[in-house]
This record gives sequence, C-alpha cells and structure tokens, in this order.
Amino acid sequence: MIELINVTKFYKTSNAKKYVLKNVNQVIPSHINVGILGRNGAGKSTLLRMLGGIDFPNSGAIVSDKTFSWPMGLAGGFQGSMTGRQNVKFVCRIYGKSDIEIEQAIESVKEFAEIGDYFDMPIKIYSSGMKSRLSFGLSLFFDFDYLIIDETLSVGDKNFQVKSKAALRKKMENCNVLLVSHSMPILKEICQAGIVVHAGQMYYFEDIDDAIKTYDKINKQ
Amino acid sequence: MTKRSSFTIFKSVIIALFLREVQTRFGSQKLGYFWAIFDAMFMVLVFAGLKSAIATNSMPGLDFPVFLATGFLAFFMWKNIVSKSMAAFSANMALFSYKQVKPIDTIITRFLIEVLVSLMATIVFLGIGLYFDFDINVKNFNMVILAVTWFAIFGFAIGLLTAVIGTFYETFNKIVNVIMTPLLFISALMYTVDSLPPILREIILYNPLVHFIEMIHGNYFNTLNTEYVSYEYMFYWTFIPLYLGLYFYIRAEKKVISSR
Repeated sequence: MIELINVTKFYKTSNAKKYVLKNVNQVIPSHINVGILGRNGAGKSTLLRMLGGIDFPNSGAIVSDKTFSWPMGLAGGFQGSMTGRQNVKFVCRIYGKSDIEIEQAIESVKEFAEIGDYFDMPIKIYSSGMKSRLSFGLSLFFDFDYLIIDETLSVGDKNFQVKSKAALRKKMENCNVLLVSHSMPILKEICQAGIVVHAGQMYYFEDIDDAIKTYDKINKQ
Repeated sequence: MTKRSSFTIFKSVIIALFLREVQTRFGSQKLGYFWAIFDAMFMVLVFAGLKSAIATNSMPGLDFPVFLATGFLAFFMWKNIVSKSMAAFSANMALFSYKQVKPIDTIITRFLIEVLVSLMATIVFLGIGLYFDFDINVKNFNMVILAVTWFAIFGFAIGLLTAVIGTFYETFNKIVNVIMTPLLFISALMYTVDSLPPILREIILYNPLVHFIEMIHGNYFNTLNTEYVSYEYMFYWTFIPLYLGLYFYIRAEKKVISSR
C-alpha cells in the first residue's frame, strides 16, 4: 500500500507557484499495477520520482512499506562518463551485491541489453534507446515490490519492445509496476488501475479504462 | 527485497562511490598517479631553486626542500579536499537518482580519496628524500600526525560548507576558487612566521592555514617551534564551518537531491 497524506508539491516559477499536487490524499492499494496518465508537464514524472524517494513533497508525506526501483526513464540515472559496465557495477554495489552477483548481473544485463561493444563505452555516447535498454535490463536483476517505469517501454525497435514486454511480464509475477505512458494499448495491457494527474490533483481509478476515458475528456477540453 | 540498515547502505554507497572515483581518476591514460604528486613536487622544485639562486641558507639546521615539501604536501591536501568537495554534488548529480546515494556521501568519498592520495604522495616524497640523503627526521611524529589530521578535517568542514552554499549561490564557489591561489603565498609555506617583520606577522596570523602549517613545521623540525600557533583559533575555524556546513546540509539535503 502506498499512502499519500496531504501531499503538496509545487515548483516556483519567477512570479508564481506552479502546483503539481495540492493537498492530495490518496491510497494506492497493494498488488495492483497502476498506469499514470496526464498531459505533458502535469507532474507524472515528479510523482514517480517522489514515489521512488528521490524527490520530496513540499508538505505532507508519502508513506509505504514497499521497496521501489529507481525511476527508469529516458533521462537516464546513469553517470555519462562511466561505461555501461561500470554503471552496472556501481548500482549493484550500492545495493550491496557480492562480487559473484555483480559478475552475474553484468552477464545478464549485457545479454539482455544487446548493445554489443557499447557496453564498454561511456554512457554519454549512448542513444536514449540504448540507455533505457541498459536501465531496464539492470532493473530486472533486482527484486523490488514496485518497478517504476517512465515511458521506457515504448522506446527501442520492435524486437526489443517484444523482448522487454516478455521480460516485464515474467518479472511482474513477483512485483508490481507503476507505469507512466502515453501509449493506451500498453497501459491497457499491463495495468489494472489508473491515476490521472491533472491541474494539481490526482484521481485514482480502479479500472484503467475509466482512467483512460477521463484522460480523453481532459484532452478534449 | 530485504531491508538493510542505514549504516550497511551507507557503507556500500561509500565503497561504490570510492571505486567509481578511483576508476575515473586513476584509470588508464589519465596520469592520475602523476598528478597526485605533481602539484607539490613542482612547488618544491620552483621555490627550492629560487631560494638557492637568490639567497644563502636562512634556515640553519634544516633542509629547505624538506621544509617546503612538508608545507606544500599538507597545503595541497587541504586545497584538494576543499576544491573536490566543492564540486562533489554537481559531478555526481546523475547518481542521486538512486535513493541510497546521499549527497554528503560524495563529499565523504572525495575526502577519503584526497587523504589517501596525499598519503601516497608523502610516501613518494619520503622515498625521494631518503634517496637524495635529505634530513627527513621528525621531531614529534604524533603531533605532526595530529596537525595533518586536524588540517584534513578543517578542509572537510570548509569543503562541505562551500558545497552546500555553492549549490544555491554559484558565485560563492567562484569566490572560494579565487581565494585559493593567493593562499599559496600567505600561508607560511616558503617562510616561517618568525622570519616576518612583526607587523606582517600580526596580519598573517589571521589566516587560519598559517597556524596549521606552523603546527606541522614546528613539530617536524628540531630548530623550529610552535610559539605562534593558536589552537583556539584553529578550533574555531574547524568547528564553526563544520557546524554550519552540517546544519545547512541537513536543511538542504532534499533540495540538493531534487535539484537534478
């Protein structure tokens, strides 16, 4: 269960506060995959980052006893000057993995990501597709209660999309996902429940179809 | 996933950051080992050369290059701790997307690395000193170690404070950088406080670095003493920045993480 208690989050612009969430109280039940919808700039990614523990509400609290992955997004979360291999090692180490486990992680990520020689080159020369391959492949190696995914499923070529969806499906036997996406088919396929973020509020729907309908309505406004 | 204690997490993060920094600093083609001793070596050579060209030995009873080396090694340790800490947040921004990595971990890691690098450089210098038959005997080893450790902590305090303030006011970093260069000449590195005219002596003693360097020199060389060192003044300069640095850091930690 994830509980948002009176959560307010805003960004200061030069003349006003831009609210992402304003006094939001919401409970997101456990063991359910949640799709998050909203227009660009509505605050979907901010919400994910707050759930992932790397951004913080200005007031209120987000309470959960679950473990969350790092937000997997196009922005990376990788240090550009390090190679793919070094980044994999780094993440394994901060999660306290042993040397043997690190070797295993390197093998499995290398195999999954299929980025060939780029694995030993600095991340800064990667394309965004390659970055998300690496990030996604790496996340599969850890056991989280929730995977936090920001748009990454729709990148990559057809082959990779098929492959990552299959991998995600297998992973989802043991964990749930919080997924931001603009692709309705993917949301319908993976998520049961939905959240729409709009104008400083978030609305929770037990059925993803209702969330999509609401989102469509907002878009027509 | 099993929950780990915060100390276990802290330890794994420090190890991970440490290995990453060492790899980037001392990786192939980086000449990291060379740069580790270059700064101090260069200064010693320049000033020892200058001195022998223009003056007779004004410090009887000690080898002037050793005098220079002790001061410059300590000075560059301090300077590198400060400037590396200052840049630690921005250099590791991308890694804050893992919630285990706290900004202060990056400063602690860089502090440890700088101390180790200085230790390495010191060993190289000692080796050179032995080889060329310089007088490298220490008067009071324990006090020298205390002085250097204290100096390092002073560097950590200033580095942390600068890093936190610099996150919100970039100009602050620039100001500190500008101060760094003249410090080289007003920190009693090529001369002793005792050798200065009284009026200059009084002014220069406002510089906290002078006290640290004098404490090191005074305890290293038989012919020098620590009569101008004020431990109280050194304490204030360590404690106040450390306290303020930690205080501001705790208040600003979340802002630093989410500012990426």
